[in-house]
Amino acid sequence: MPNKRAGRLWDNSGSFLLLISPFLLAWAFFWVVPLFTGVDLAMQESHQFSGPVSGTGYTHSPFSNFERAINDPKFIHSLENTSLFIVGSILITLGLSFFLAVSVYELNKKIQGICLFFLLIPSFALPGSLATLFYLFFHGKSGALNQFLVIPLGFDPINWMMDPSWILPCLVLQAVWRWTGVITLVLYCGIRAIPHWQFEVARIEGASAWSKVRTILFPGTRHLLLFAGIFLLVDGVAAFSGAYNLLGGSGGVLDAGLLFVTYAYQVAFPGGSGRFDLPLASAACVLVAGTTACFAWLLLQVRKHMRN
Amino acid sequence: MNRLFSSILTGLVVLITAYPFAWMFLSSFKTNREIYQPGKMLPESFDPFAYKLLFSGELFDFSSVLVRSLLLAGGQAFFACLVTAATGFALAKGRFRGKSLLFWAALLIILYPKQAMSLALFEWMARLEITGNLYGLMLSGVASGLGVIFFTQVFRKVPDELIDLAKVEGQGPLFCFFTLLPLIFPALCTYGILHFFLCWQEHLLPLLTLGSVQLTLPLALAKLGDSSYNTPEAVGLAAGVLAMLPLLLLFCYFFRRVRSALADWVVS
Repeated sequence: MPNKRAGRLWDNSGSFLLLISPFLLAWAFFWVVPLFTGVDLAMQESHQFSGPVSGTGYTHSPFSNFERAINDPKFIHSLENTSLFIVGSILITLGLSFFLAVSVYELNKKIQGICLFFLLIPSFALPGSLATLFYLFFHGKSGALNQFLVIPLGFDPINWMMDPSWILPCLVLQAVWRWTGVITLVLYCGIRAIPHWQFEVARIEGASAWSKVRTILFPGTRHLLLFAGIFLLVDGVAAFSGAYNLLGGSGGVLDAGLLFVTYAYQVAFPGGSGRFDLPLASAACVLVAGTTACFAWLLLQVRKHMRN
Repeated sequence: MNRLFSSILTGLVVLITAYPFAWMFLSSFKTNREIYQPGKMLPESFDPFAYKLLFSGELFDFSSVLVRSLLLAGGQAFFACLVTAATGFALAKGRFRGKSLLFWAALLIILYPKQAMSLALFEWMARLEITGNLYGLMLSGVASGLGVIFFTQVFRKVPDELIDLAKVEGQGPLFCFFTLLPLIFPALCTYGILHFFLCWQEHLLPLLTLGSVQLTLPLALAKLGDSSYNTPEAVGLAAGVLAMLPLLLLFCYFFRRVRSALADWVVS
């Protein structure tokens, strides 16, 4: 990273190397080595094909696990679900958080802190308790969602967890519930950082609410929105705990709630379909995580470009 | 936006987000029959049977689960703060080879989804034969990319004059770093809390490495939610309440500090 004040930096490589060495050690030991372990694992021959099964026309090559992953309909299905989950939770969370941040900003100073605090409460809960709470409170025929939303609107009560078309929206709802507070807080801080004269000008000119959003609020927070989007993307790919608690480690009815990490877990370990196929799981992980990292990096470049 | 509209929107969302947690707390005193009527708010009696059952050790040793989670998250947050603050200091104030490489390394840690690494990390730890070791798990999360980036920005704001002063006094960077730590205490608290949160909620890696004997809170919750155990629903809710409590207390205490540190970070 280029530093404008390079002339004033401290020249004492030895001591600085000593300072960064704990990080470097931990990074090498618990990140770089596992990364290569993962790649190495992904290239190994799976136990499924060793022993008597081998010799059935299957020849192992370093990339055959990747091929098997891509040809596994369950893998593709989990990717579709995860993509929908991510897109849904990003769009809803960012939209809702933006309007909430603007709304909180307009409120009385004293209430602002209280509102933000209450909004943050779901993020203190473990994803597992969110799932339990969702199951007991929102879900079910007499649950809050059916009682206060579906039935008053004149529809039949929905069986959320048993209806394949509603499992994924349930997971999205949980993610939105969990993250909206945090992102609202970040955006709120971003709005507070916008120079006050811009709002004064808008007030004097009699600008409408929409044009204020378009010309002041959105440009002032878009780099944070993108940052939040990247965060939600990486977190969404890694989503596991909520779905694990809600669906007990399975993918739900017709695998409608099968997310990627659950898939990898199922392939690697018993329970569910339990295949003990660590190489295949590893190959899938390397593929997905690598792609995510590249994509997120691209988005970061966009953010950098936007700020310059 | 119209102030009335803002108030109504905020009030409504606050109600939707926070109300279920009030229900969760009150329901940890309820019987299953009461819990299955989500419209009902107050329990018939405040009988803490669920909490008693949790701590009686009949299901599993819940107090040691709590201690284990606190130790894991607290220890990891402490070491992560120390390690990443030192790296951030070096990145912000020092000149040495491979600086940009270090920065990219930190960024890559953030962008590469951690859960997707868990299987490989588990395999690696199994080869080292340190699975089932809480301290191995604690150290595995210390190299945090987010921490490095955060502390680099924090130390960039520390005036260079202080560094010059240290140089005049004949101090080395190592000593200078430790004398600067009290100055960045709010930032240390903020990152410490954040890391504590993330580690506290970690599910997959403890599930893989610690196995079924040494539970952490997320694993214990999943176990309670498992219908084959046939525990009353209130027990799961009580465990959820207890799992939230440390985070809530920490955050209440540091809310202002976190907010101001966050506001600083947003501007930079």
